[in-house]
Amino acid sequence: MALSKRRVYLAGLALQLFLIITVSSRDTFWLLSESRTIFPESSKNYWQRAEQIASTALGQRLPVTNPARQILTGYLDLAGIEAGYGFFAPNVPNSYKLVFELRFPDGRVEYELPRVSNAASILRIASLLDKIGRTQSEALRQTIVGMLADAVWREHSDATTIRAIFGSVMLPSAPEFEHGKRESYEFLYAYDFSVSDKSTEQSAP
Amino acid sequence: MKRLPELRLRVIDFCFPAESDTWLAILRIGLGLQVVLYALSLRDDWNYFLAGTGHTLISRNLGEAILSLESYFVPRLGWLVTLGARIGFREETVLRLTWICLLSSGCALLMGIASRFSAILAWFLHLCAAKSAGFVSYGVDNFMTIGLFYLMLSPLPDRYSLDRRLRKSRANDPQLLAFWRRILQFHLCIIYFFSGLTKCLGPGWWDGSNVWRALIRPPFNIIDPEILVRWKYLFPVAGIFICLLEIGYPFFIWNSQTRKIWLICICAMHLGIGITMGMYLFAFVMIVLNVAAFGSRLSRMECCTTSLQPRKAVS
Repeated sequence: MALSKRRVYLAGLALQLFLIITVSSRDTFWLLSESRTIFPESSKNYWQRAEQIASTALGQRLPVTNPARQILTGYLDLAGIEAGYGFFAPNVPNSYKLVFELRFPDGRVEYELPRVSNAASILRIASLLDKIGRTQSEALRQTIVGMLADAVWREHSDATTIRAIFGSVMLPSAPEFEHGKRESYEFLYAYDFSVSDKSTEQSAP
Repeated sequence: MKRLPELRLRVIDFCFPAESDTWLAILRIGLGLQVVLYALSLRDDWNYFLAGTGHTLISRNLGEAILSLESYFVPRLGWLVTLGARIGFREETVLRLTWICLLSSGCALLMGIASRFSAILAWFLHLCAAKSAGFVSYGVDNFMTIGLFYLMLSPLPDRYSLDRRLRKSRANDPQLLAFWRRILQFHLCIIYFFSGLTKCLGPGWWDGSNVWRALIRPPFNIIDPEILVRWKYLFPVAGIFICLLEIGYPFFIWNSQTRKIWLICICAMHLGIGITMGMYLFAFVMIVLNVAAFGSRLSRMECCTTSLQPRKAVS
């Protein structure tokens, strides 16, 4: 292979590695600024600033419609390098649970969970619940829960109201477990859906 | 200053050594099997996860609307559905055809039929599905995209593919093969370094509480906590071991004396995650990427074939 051709390949390699490292650094700085780590709380401002610098390098602070940002973001997604690699880090977060309480005209009450066909899909539902729990947008959360409630309603079309209860699963530590403590649920949000007007009401935690 | 050209040549030499295509065969076959398993695992829920209207869990339109805010260039199933509508196909039909094409591309990759086309098709269709159903995607989708992206750009077909056997085409440039393997190797080093670093920063990995939490966290809680708790003294050891294994990966995987043990330990860790947490697809894709990147050189056959490749002089 000619030297000039190799140089082109090397330039591509350098760019790819720069992007991977910058995205990974950005997400690491974000984790450090948001989570409980071995660093003091006062260092969080520095991590936030570092995250902003990394985001700037990735064009994330340009307007959304900017072509450079669109192309760069598009490339990161095409190569699968748009996210960092902080799996279960720095700490393993609590998981979430969504329960639907269905009320029927005869006074019956039934409880349902989002239903899928196999274990592989259950992992995807868990990922969805994590995203619902972590989103800062109340409108998005309500929209997604509404869609999930709609899916349950299709299976139980005779139900008159559905209450979606979203909560966090609190895990006991190993010593707590030995002393008889089991996983518990912390109520976070509830949404009511009625069949008459399909309107929703939200209950505060 | 005189050292700069020398350094440049050393970098070039490091990135373009002569390499056989065994690693590429491992990557192709492994990812082919991964795509087949991925498609089969979603067979019953494919339309449920990906439909825009009707019988769906989360409307695909919502995921794609959010995707459009990020970039218009990211592939999505909406493009195929729109295309299908123009020729009179219903959304359901397009989605089912997409699933069949994805499964077929996985099978074709496994056998090495139309390797390049199959790799591009598998990457494109998987990416469309993963991005359109962004709300239900997780780590495995990310790593499949990474693997398929490098696979489709690498010099296919490899010598074990049916393509090569049927067409008797000439061998690929060994230096180009080595270059694409290097990218995969560098990428894995960065992945494990950052994964290990972020774990090291959390106190829960040093005292083992995160290992316990990871194993009892729904839906990964497939082992009864009553059994797990009996092994609680091993959790700190396991936590520290995972941190050191991951953060040490970029330093110990390159050395021929430590490569074998590090690779075995990393693969064992992923196997453990797969078995104890039920993340079979995730475990499999990670093992495939690791073995393709660093594993093929460990085998005896690979040593022989590599030594037979003539090294071209730097022009």
